[in-house]
Amino acid sequence: MKINKIILSFISAVAILLSTSVVSFAKVVGDKIVLGAAISLTGKYSSNGVHTQNGYNMAVDRINSMGGVKVGGKTYKFEIIYYDDESNPKRAAQLAERLISQDGVEFMLGPYSSGLTKAIAPVTEKYGVPMVEANGASRSLFTKGYKYLFAVLAPANLYLDVAIRTAVELNGGKGVRIAQAFEQDAFSQDVRLGILDAAKETGSEIIIDDKLPKELNDMAATLVKVKQMKPDVLVVSGHTKGALTAIRQIAEMKVDVPMLAMTHCDAAKLSKQHGKNSQYALCASQWHKTLTYKDNFFKDGMTYAADFQKEFGYDPPYQSAESSAALLVFKDAFERANSFDQKKVRDALAATNMQTFYGNIKFAPGGQNVDKPMVLFQVMCDGAGKCENKVVAPLKWASAKLIHPIPKWSER
Amino acid sequence: MNKNYILYALILIFGLAAPFIFPAFKVQLSILCVLIILAITWNIQGGEMGYNSFGNILFYGLGMYLCASVQVGMFFPLAEWTESGGEKTFVHTPSQFFQGMAVGLVVAAVIPTIVAGLIGYAILGLRGHYFAICTLGLGVAAGEISGGIEIIGAGQGFTTPPFPNVGGLEARGEFFYLLSFTALVLTFIAVRAVYSTRFKLILNAIRDNEDKAEAMGIQTMKYKIIGWMISAFFCGLAGGIMGGLVGYIDSTDVAFDGREMGVFMVLMAILGGKGTLWGPVIGATVFHIFKEGFWTFFLGWQYVALGVLIVVIVIYFPEGIMGWLREKYPERFGEVVDEADRKAQVELK
Repeated sequence: MKINKIILSFISAVAILLSTSVVSFAKVVGDKIVLGAAISLTGKYSSNGVHTQNGYNMAVDRINSMGGVKVGGKTYKFEIIYYDDESNPKRAAQLAERLISQDGVEFMLGPYSSGLTKAIAPVTEKYGVPMVEANGASRSLFTKGYKYLFAVLAPANLYLDVAIRTAVELNGGKGVRIAQAFEQDAFSQDVRLGILDAAKETGSEIIIDDKLPKELNDMAATLVKVKQMKPDVLVVSGHTKGALTAIRQIAEMKVDVPMLAMTHCDAAKLSKQHGKNSQYALCASQWHKTLTYKDNFFKDGMTYAADFQKEFGYDPPYQSAESSAALLVFKDAFERANSFDQKKVRDALAATNMQTFYGNIKFAPGGQNVDKPMVLFQVMCDGAGKCENKVVAPLKWASAKLIHPIPKWSER
Repeated sequence: MNKNYILYALILIFGLAAPFIFPAFKVQLSILCVLIILAITWNIQGGEMGYNSFGNILFYGLGMYLCASVQVGMFFPLAEWTESGGEKTFVHTPSQFFQGMAVGLVVAAVIPTIVAGLIGYAILGLRGHYFAICTLGLGVAAGEISGGIEIIGAGQGFTTPPFPNVGGLEARGEFFYLLSFTALVLTFIAVRAVYSTRFKLILNAIRDNEDKAEAMGIQTMKYKIIGWMISAFFCGLAGGIMGGLVGYIDSTDVAFDGREMGVFMVLMAILGGKGTLWGPVIGATVFHIFKEGFWTFFLGWQYVALGVLIVVIVIYFPEGIMGWLREKYPERFGEVVDEADRKAQVELK
């Protein structure tokens, strides 16, 4: 029975391997505060994952270079351990576990997307690890009674609420006919629920209600229906791919619709990628560089955008801005708690009430930010074909007037 | 024979002690157990029976959803639990959690078994590539369908009941490890018992020449279906455990994850050596270690590294690790080798 020897030696090899792998305890080492983050560097959310990571890195560099975090009279610098969650919730949950139990991380930053945040939140909650997340907007995150989850962004159901209300207003207060298509994922489905609520309240009618697959690269079937049924508003949400696919196919098929409302236009760099084809698209955004919020680190939106452009070579989408804001929130909470005790930091986070370049931040008991409205911008192009996103709602920040209805393709 | 039992006892002790010796690795070890179960059960079709199934992920996902649904549904309205905008918060008491889990796991094992019987009756008449492609469709279809069923969360996903507040921080990890290790031991014992009967010979006969087997009077269809049902039973069980372990079920990314789990189970069995009892166990372990390693040291390139590993496996170990060892050290596998005969064979090649 020599085979036994093979198996035995194999098992002992595994045991040795496991026991020699280094278990380091990160948390607060020397003058460093180590945060953990699982980020989608590959997979379907990779572009937004990178926006998130750039946002985090930008803020870490800025805070560190401007004196770091002062706790108990000592100055600390931020550092982040990243792992790639491959846009997969299963992986994200494992990585959270790994960051906490193997790397000894005591404070976490959120991943990209609601689905992944949903997978990570139970883990951080179990270990009592405070997590400030900037990219999980699904409402269901905030109704689970999580105590250690804080989101700097407004919940997903509010994303396109304004768009529907604006459409109704422009329609003389009468309900509108809505066509909608949403990706089958936690975030987009929650945006959908927000539209359903808005439709109910305004007496609007939903005439097309389609679901789009996760690997989203075709929505022609929905658009054919839209051409036939001529709704007043077309709503599409499916992260970056959803926005790109919608614009590409609407232009190809010359679909005329008075209002087109979407999410993730800036993350998809729509105005750059599709130029004039993306004109008039209305987009929900957590942030826009022209908003007038201020803080000491990035000054204001315009300065942030310029610095970000210099560092990474593109205009920051709101995903980056909110991610940077998450670090500002952590810094503020550490300093107010004046301690690295997880419980104390958690309480300090819960009591956050501050303004950042990204907006005001104040958490509801569920963990969502209740002090920051969504903005809507519209893609507008000049004669030369140079396109820009201009805020059109709410009126307080509007830098341009909403163009409605969208001119027909034949008249463009 | 005695030596065998000593070996098994050693492994059992090692398995039971593992989470306490390597406390930081509990989750990885639990996942390893689940991976081994999947590899062992896939091997029943792919290795012993010669039917390359990509559909076993169906039973895994089904088990996952069933276990979680039962666990919630026994005590609370399922629809309100999964509803996104729901304002209510439900919390399982410890006894509710464990009762729900126990019943849930039974359901998670039994229903997929029945489903395997029904589907098997319909499609196990297909052979070769046709069967493989057909089963590939099963997993994809299940993912899309479950993504549209509101009561299990549809595209929103399904958050499984959080582990109750008992026994401190480490309790959850230890519970899930022991659960998955127990499931693994049960699977191994059951499959080993099955392999020691005539049943295995019949499966091998089907693999080697199905028509001849039929001509010998074997009702191949019956055995193929039973084989698949055995796989489904343990796949469902593994799925149920994994659902609780991950804590969040997404239709295509976690449950019917044909792109990852569905392919991994095939890879692991092939890496270890299909058609052997220990092959899938070793394959899954090596695979898991490599994968975790790539993940740590080649961040961003882990799939490239994994791809290279697969290419290396196919080129240098087409018969898997066990097959390679067997060829290299046949005497260790109890084969008597005549050196002259072996040389002659090598020259013939």
